[in-house]
Amino acid sequence: MNQIAKDEAAVVIIGSGAGGGTLAYELTAAGIPCVLLEAGAFIKNEDYHNNEWEAFRQMAWLDARTTSGSWRVAKDFPGLPAWIVKAVGGSTTHWSGATPRFKDYEFKAKSTYGDVAGATLLDWPITLDDLAPYYDRAEIAMGSTHRHGRPALPANNNYKVFANGAERVGYKQYATGPYATNAEPYDGRPASIQDGFNFQGDKNKSKWSTLVREIPRALETGLLDLRPDSHVVRITHGADGKADAVLYVDKDGNLHRQAAKVVCVAGNSIETPRLLLLSESNRFPTGLANGADHVGRHYMRHMTGSVYAQFDKPVHMFRGETMAGIIADEAANNPERGFVGGYYMETLSLGPSFLAAFIEPGAWGPEFAAMMDAYANTAGMWIVGEDMPQATNRVTLSDSVKDQWGLAAPNVHFDDHANDVAMRNYAYEKAQKLYEAVGAVSSHRTPPYPSTHNLGTCRMSEKPEDGVVDKWGRAHEVSNLFVSDGSVMTTGAAANPTLTIVALAIRQAEYLAGELKAGNL
Amino acid sequence: MKTTRRHVLLGSASALLAASSLGGAALGFTLDPAKDEASKALLARVVRVAFPHKNFPDAAYLRTAGVILTAAEGTPGQKLAFAATLHDLDQAGFADMDEAAALDHLKSIEDTPFFVLTRSTTVVTLYDDPEVWAVLGYEGPSFDKGGYINRGFNDLDWLPEPRIEEYEAAQ
Repeated sequence: MNQIAKDEAAVVIIGSGAGGGTLAYELTAAGIPCVLLEAGAFIKNEDYHNNEWEAFRQMAWLDARTTSGSWRVAKDFPGLPAWIVKAVGGSTTHWSGATPRFKDYEFKAKSTYGDVAGATLLDWPITLDDLAPYYDRAEIAMGSTHRHGRPALPANNNYKVFANGAERVGYKQYATGPYATNAEPYDGRPASIQDGFNFQGDKNKSKWSTLVREIPRALETGLLDLRPDSHVVRITHGADGKADAVLYVDKDGNLHRQAAKVVCVAGNSIETPRLLLLSESNRFPTGLANGADHVGRHYMRHMTGSVYAQFDKPVHMFRGETMAGIIADEAANNPERGFVGGYYMETLSLGPSFLAAFIEPGAWGPEFAAMMDAYANTAGMWIVGEDMPQATNRVTLSDSVKDQWGLAAPNVHFDDHANDVAMRNYAYEKAQKLYEAVGAVSSHRTPPYPSTHNLGTCRMSEKPEDGVVDKWGRAHEVSNLFVSDGSVMTTGAAANPTLTIVALAIRQAEYLAGELKAGNL
Repeated sequence: MKTTRRHVLLGSASALLAASSLGGAALGFTLDPAKDEASKALLARVVRVAFPHKNFPDAAYLRTAGVILTAAEGTPGQKLAFAATLHDLDQAGFADMDEAAALDHLKSIEDTPFFVLTRSTTVVTLYDDPEVWAVLGYEGPSFDKGGYINRGFNDLDWLPEPRIEEYEAAQ
């Protein structure tokens, strides 16, 4: 592995997930040495556990966090606003794999939806046309099924219920993908063995993650200096206002300094704004790149919910790929439904230990037990749609709770927007009807889980006063500071965000490589 | 089932008698319920009433009760509060109550730290028990067995085989 001196002003990437891992590969492949700092450990595929809670304890980001607001997560899981990963490969190691693209109009949410009371909608400074070539490259890199010649995954039991229900209620746009897990060997990795463990890390390496593709390839270039267990706690700047170094804590609590000529932050949408807020200085008294007061604001987490339906015959939903089933019929914007934006329905399976914790948090008694008794006959789906950005939904620094390093923990404040609530109720109804159409004897509306899609806290904007970064992800206020994760999303769209994060990172890498080679950075 | 529960009752009663004969339990309660089989059995009944699965073995409920008792070993204050609630349950004759009365009794204490700890520990313990998985029909870790690709991932036969391609592609 390449070793870059700590006093050498390097290209420094913070976070090794979908954004940071992709950026590290694309830049090193272009001949640019990088330091990649990852807060978590280097956990390998063979280290993963086929057990929900063991895997959770191994992989999840469990540093101190707090919550506030009227969202139900704050009541049920007050210390766990988000379920994301702290490890090399970031949350791509536990993501399920669905890769729909954003739609044309979703980049123009304000123009399309108009003024929505209480929402801070804004058009992206880029269009679908700008991103389309990078979507192609991302799909090819990730091996999305149904795309670029990649075959579809077969129907598993949960999908059979889901797709037949879809057909019976009149939906047409259902399929087992697009889904970034190999149906046949591809890109040096094997086909899925349908082991049913996605959220726990894929031991078989059939599922795309930066752990199995971008990071090993970046290391092979000989240009990557990967440092796991390196939690960045501050970005410093020089008298010129440009970032000049990052400070990080190793696993023993020792502080280190890495000099930087470019800093790319990809810590996911809670840690990224937290780091900028922690990096306040005399010159940037409210946090780095926060002169317009948008860092941490407009936090989005997608409108989500689940429906679990019980049948009088076996389903065994846990056998096979967790989310290889997508219905897109409700994804379009159709305000006649009583809300703007759209949503997808996607198959979802939990094992008994997660289902018990999440199907109805806080519930107990005979009705709860009956739902669990029906486990083998249960089918499940997730609903995921566009939520409204709101300035008051935001990540701030706690004034009372500290993390293990003594630094202010992030607080995540979230209130559902009326549009989110209307969409969720509509989607619950549709999901229950779908299952009734194939004979469900009962079904249950499960509230949102801790957020897996965290977006928008350093949003992209044409004008500096409207956001944090420009169309390349470059901070409006700090010319050598970039944001390279889902934080940059101006609005959230309905689709699962990983594909778009990867596409944006490939595009940003191309821009960065050009600027670096031209001597502009 | 009934026989087992009678054993639980007898065990509970005799342990209390034994404790009071040593003079340490004039209050009639056990300061260290984690090491006390009668306390564990009483707590296991609480868990069974709160999460009633007629096909789950008693052993699984007892294992969960053991985990809860360990989780209750926080500060002396927390430990004391937990032990006191167990004692109250015993005094109220919880072990002798029929299902409906026992359920009502738990509803009356559902907001207590005792019950919140019991409930929250149970959902992540009882349903993470391989013996319980077997009863529920969940097959657990699968990678070492080659996944489910040859073990029924698509064996559902009561619905037609659905299309897997996208609609546009299927035209």
